[in-house]
Parts: sequence; structure tokens; C-alpha cells
Amino acid sequence: MSILYDEGQQAIATESRRVLEARTSKDRLLKLLTTTGEVDKPFWDTAVEQGWTGLAIPEEHGGLGLSLAELGLVAQQAGAVIAGAPYLTVGYGASQALVASGVAEAQAAWLPKLAAGEAIGTVAFAEGTAPLPANPKVTFADGKLSGTKPGVTAGITADVAVVLASHQGKPALVLADLAGVTRNAIDSYDNTRLYADLVFDGTPATLLVEGEAASTLALDLLARMAVVTAHEQTGAAEALLFTARDYALTRKAFGQPIGAFQSVKHRIAELYGFVEIARANCIHAVASEGKDNFLLAAADARISATDAYDTAARDTVQIHGGIGATWEGGLHLHMRRARSLAVEQGNLMFWEDLLVDHLGEAA
Amino acid sequence: MTDFEAYRASAREFLESVAGEFGKDARRGLDVEQDLALGRRYMATKYDAGFGGISWPKEYGGQGLTHTHKLIFDTEEAKYGMPVVYFGISLGMPVPILMHYGQDKDFVKERIVKALRGEEIWCQLFSEPSGGSDLAGLRTRAEVDGNGWRLNGQKLWTSWAQYCDYGVIVARTDPTAQKHKGLTYYWVDMKAPGVEVRPVKLAAGDSHVNEVFFDDVRLEDSQRMSPVGGGFAVAMHTLMIERYIATDSAGFGPPLDVFVELAKTTDYNGRPAISDGRIRSQIARNHAMRAGLESITARAMLMMQAGMEAGPEGSLNKLVAVRSRQKLSELAMDLKGQSGFAYSEHNSPREDWTNSWISAPTGRIAGGADEMLLNTIAERILGLPQDHRPDKGVPFNQIPA
Repeated sequence: MSILYDEGQQAIATESRRVLEARTSKDRLLKLLTTTGEVDKPFWDTAVEQGWTGLAIPEEHGGLGLSLAELGLVAQQAGAVIAGAPYLTVGYGASQALVASGVAEAQAAWLPKLAAGEAIGTVAFAEGTAPLPANPKVTFADGKLSGTKPGVTAGITADVAVVLASHQGKPALVLADLAGVTRNAIDSYDNTRLYADLVFDGTPATLLVEGEAASTLALDLLARMAVVTAHEQTGAAEALLFTARDYALTRKAFGQPIGAFQSVKHRIAELYGFVEIARANCIHAVASEGKDNFLLAAADARISATDAYDTAARDTVQIHGGIGATWEGGLHLHMRRARSLAVEQGNLMFWEDLLVDHLGEAA
Repeated sequence: MTDFEAYRASAREFLESVAGEFGKDARRGLDVEQDLALGRRYMATKYDAGFGGISWPKEYGGQGLTHTHKLIFDTEEAKYGMPVVYFGISLGMPVPILMHYGQDKDFVKERIVKALRGEEIWCQLFSEPSGGSDLAGLRTRAEVDGNGWRLNGQKLWTSWAQYCDYGVIVARTDPTAQKHKGLTYYWVDMKAPGVEVRPVKLAAGDSHVNEVFFDDVRLEDSQRMSPVGGGFAVAMHTLMIERYIATDSAGFGPPLDVFVELAKTTDYNGRPAISDGRIRSQIARNHAMRAGLESITARAMLMMQAGMEAGPEGSLNKLVAVRSRQKLSELAMDLKGQSGFAYSEHNSPREDWTNSWISAPTGRIAGGADEMLLNTIAERILGLPQDHRPDKGVPFNQIPA
């Protein structure tokens, strides 16, 4: 795509914002923090009803055949309202793995359901501190998966997972039906992410891709999910920027709005810089999909968006003073989400290393 | 190929053909006077080749093309390190303002062509000891003198004034009016009796800025470029002329690949420094920041080519790029350690980390200090309130000095 959005894309952004703003409730999100294994149903119903689950799935598999650009725009709006379910990004990763694999049977079995939101897909790559382990401890042999994938996003409820495993000493991407898998739910600081350790114990699975191609595809999928997440982070950071701005305009101290103090207004102006740089990198990454520089552009987007959301969460709470630190005020919803999104899809250190490795080779 | 692509190709062809005579390598080792002389010859060559005054009307000696054409040329030109720095302000602000507000059209046209050819240079006499960021706090005064004016006072930080033939100036004509309302805008002959220019040596050792003193300098009323008392609006217009100039995500310091090369070739703890996590993190953060700025610029260019107005995020470039250049320069000096103590003021801040470091403060102050840029973002883009201003609504001569 171009780095200017077309009219259709702008319409998707406007419409998704409108519908999400109308159906989101801070009180519901606060309540969900204390429950494990539940999502905000109105959010997810909206996503399914609007067709966001199938946005980037090809039409022949029941999707809308659109691209990362459209999904990114929806993710941006979802980030702004603190998405009540974690499925869009990891579902995209799972379905793109299927599309890329070319394994027709698995595609026919899952893609139409994933596109329609009737099944939930996720991705299980990480082990230990490695977002993308070179030699996964989870193994795939004789059509069966064994071992544990820790802290899988949507792991509590997902129906199917694309798992990075070792197969005859080489990496492989396999598809596992999670129906009979043991899920150890994690009571987390951000419970609607539905984190669970997935324990595979001879779980039947289908080989999608193996060897060098599996490593390459896994990295590409991780990069594309990171770009979706970067949009979500950017949308959230922008929402915080406006929250901080609005509060600074109304809250008065020492006889004037606190936004008239440079210590406050400059902090907010700096947030604007973080948000716009992250946004520009997101657009650049989307426009680079399928090109040689995509990984680099994805890393740029991921790094600047993580930085933007972390900073916006930190500073917006600070600008709100005491009320920013209360449960009721709800800004901690963003603090929590900023951290969970910073860790999912590879943390800053991972993307910094990847970026510098690329530059080091090129220079 | 679109019109713009074709134009870029023709710009490159021209630049390539003269790079050997005027570019980076030809300039190495020249002192300022020699470099300026080379610059004047380059400007004349550029004008004769049809690349002078790209976006200015043909009736004034320009090429009659769009601002986008000019941005394309400037972006290409920047890659060759041509000696154009002496003419940037002249052609960027004072001369366009003269074109807009000058009273005598024949005089204006003659000045424009000479300025485009590098034969004459114009400066902008705005800042003073008592007012830089607070421009309307200026104290240089112009008093009625028969059918003209008499100018007295002092300007400061005037770039290239020592080489200038003319300047535009804002002076106070009514000290009893509120500060913004008592100002008037003129052009001034820098060779006129009573004008004295004294270069100010900057931290890096160079002296491209000056103090300029005016001692009973005579101005004709035809040199006035605003209504009496209406000078502040013209001054604002001057500063707004080039909202999207050719930007540089490196903050006019060295490009990031120069740092990467340094990190690859420098040993630290027995390994190449590029394998050190602290260095890696800074490289990655700088890359992400610069890529974002470049994407903002690319998007702005596309929008302008499509006839749309570019977004306000373009205002981030100088703020973000220059201060990160400052920090990255410090890190590069750390990396070099004891082997990096040598310094020459003749090295280019675009190639040498030490020169980049010591001249970075100028970049963070000139053309809008970081703090003023943050105020502008906060107030103009985000709608936050202005600071408390005790001088608001007060006649200038009653504001405590």
C-alpha cells in the first residue's frame, strides 16, 4: 500500500472507532481484572459482527481479503479503548500461518471458522525468555506434540494454536487442536489477555512447515503480529495523550488550568511526539509488507510504539496526580495493557537486537 | 514517470555534473571566505541551469514551479554537501518577504536575481539581547526623521551578517503601545553609515553569527515593509514561510550508519562495540526515531504532491532530531575514548562526532528553542493554554525590564 490511507481504509478507521467507543465500558473492564478466563463480551461480539476476525484472511477461505493496513487501523481503535479480548492479533498470526503453509486440509478445517469468529486461534512460539527460540524444547514427533509453552496469549480459551516446535532436531510450525490440552490458567495483572501455560502431552498436531522455512515464517509472522500490536499500542498512546490533554485543560491548581504550567504542557507535547513517530513507523511498516526492509520497518514500529505506550501510560498517570493512581480512575488499565503488549510479540530487547543485527550486516 | 520523478532525475543529473567542482570533497580544507566564494559561484551555476528560485514566480526571475519541486531539489542537493549554507536564510525568509512586501518592484526584482545568483546575501535582524524567543520584547527603535526614519539599537545572533548586503529588521516605533503593537518592519542596507557588524565566536570556534549595531542609521519610508505598528504580523509571516523545508532526521549531524560503522570497528572489552547491549540499544532507538521522522516527511511530501495540506507533525523534526543527535554524539565520543581527544573546528558536524556534539546546542536554540517548539505543539496542535504572561496588555514602556 501507499503511505497514505485510501478512502476505504479511512472509513474502516472511523467506523471501528465509532462502534467501539459506543460499546466500551471502563467499569466492565475494571471488573474483568479480578476474574480469570473471561473477556469483555460486547467487545468480542462487536469484533465478530464487524468482520474484523476475517479482515486479512483471503476471500477463498471465507475472509475479506484485506491487508495488514486495515487490520492495523482496527487494532489502533481497539487499543484506544483497551481491547476487551486478545484474539485479533494472535488470531491473525494463526490464520496467516495457515495461509502461508499451503496445507489445504488444515486450511479448509480452520480458516473459514477463524474468519467467521466461530473458532479462536492463537500462536505459541515463546519459551523461557526467548520470543522465538532457535531450538524449542517443545517437540513434535510421530504427529504428536510434547512439552509446555508458557504464558500463551488467549491460551485459556483458544481452540487451535500454531506452535513452534522441534521436529527431528529442526524447527517446525505445527497446528494443534487444543480441545484436549491441559491449560494452566495464569492469574495475571492483565487478565483479559487470557494467559495460560499450554501443556502438550502427546497432543495430535499437523505439520505446517519445517526446517529453515519454519524459522523464516515464524519470524515473519512474529513481525506481522508485532506490527498489529504496534498499531494497538499507538492507538492506546494517542488515547492517553488526549486524556492527559483534557485533564490538564479542566483541572485547576494555583488559580489556573494545570495545562498552563510548562512542566505539564511540555510533558504532554512530548507525548504527541512519541505518538506521531510511532504512527509514522506503523504506516511505514504496513507499506513495507512483502518488501526486503519489512523486518527492519516492523522493528522500528514495534520499538517506537512500545516506547510511546509505556511513556504515555506513565506520564498520563503522573499528570492526573492522586486520582491517576486509584482503582476507580482506571488509568491502571492502560498501565497494565502497556506492559502486557510490551511483552507479547517480543520485548524491546528482542526487537532492538534484531534491528541492530540487520544494520550490522548491511553496513 | 511522474512529473515529480522526472524533475528529481533532472535535478540529480545537474547535481552530479557539478558535484566535483562544488561538492563535499571540493570544499574540504577551505576557509570560510574561500568556501563562500565557491558558494557564490555554485549559486550562479545553479541559477544559469534553471534551478534557482524554483518555486518563485517567473516575473521575479524564478522558475514558477511548486514548493514540492523545490523540496525535491533541496533533498537531492543536500546529499552532495554543496556550499549553500550562506544563502539558506537569505533565500528562505528575507528575500521572499521582500518579494511579498517590497514597495518598488524593479528594485525588488533586481535584488531577487542577485540574491539567487549568490551575488548578494540578505540577513534577518530579529533577535536582540533582550528578546530571542520573546521576539516582541525587542528594544531597537526606529523614530520618525523627516520623511523617513532613524534607527538605533542592537541586534544579536544575526547569521552571516558579516557577509550580508541587506537585511530585514523589526524595530520598535511606539514604546507606549503594547509590546506586539508598537513594532514596524523595514529592510536595511547593511553597508549604510552607522551599521556595525561584530562577529560572535561560538563554542565550536566558528563565527557565523554576529552582533549588529545601529547608530543613527537613516531609513527611507520606502524601506518600510509593514504598516506602522504592524511589524509583528510581518515578522510572524517571515517565520511561517517555510513550514516544510528539507529536513534531516539526523538533526544535521552524522547519519546513523556512521555510528554503526564506528561501533563495528571499535573494540570494547575485547569485542566489537556493536555487540555491547548499551550500544545496541542506542542504535536501535535512534534508528526507530529517525525512521519515524523520515516517514513523517515522506508522507508530508506525498500529501503536498496530491494537493493536500501536510499534517502538523512535521514540526517535530528539529525538536526530536537535534537533541538526539546531541546525545548520540556524546556516546560516540565515549566509544572513541582516549583515541578521540583530537579536535579541529574545520571538520564538518555532519561527518565528525566531536564537531556534531559541540555545535548541537546551537541547533537546539536557533530557529526556535526546544522549549518554544514544545509550547507551539502544546498550544497550536493540542489546544493547551498559553503560559501566564504578566506583560500581556501592558504598554511596552511600563513592563519591568
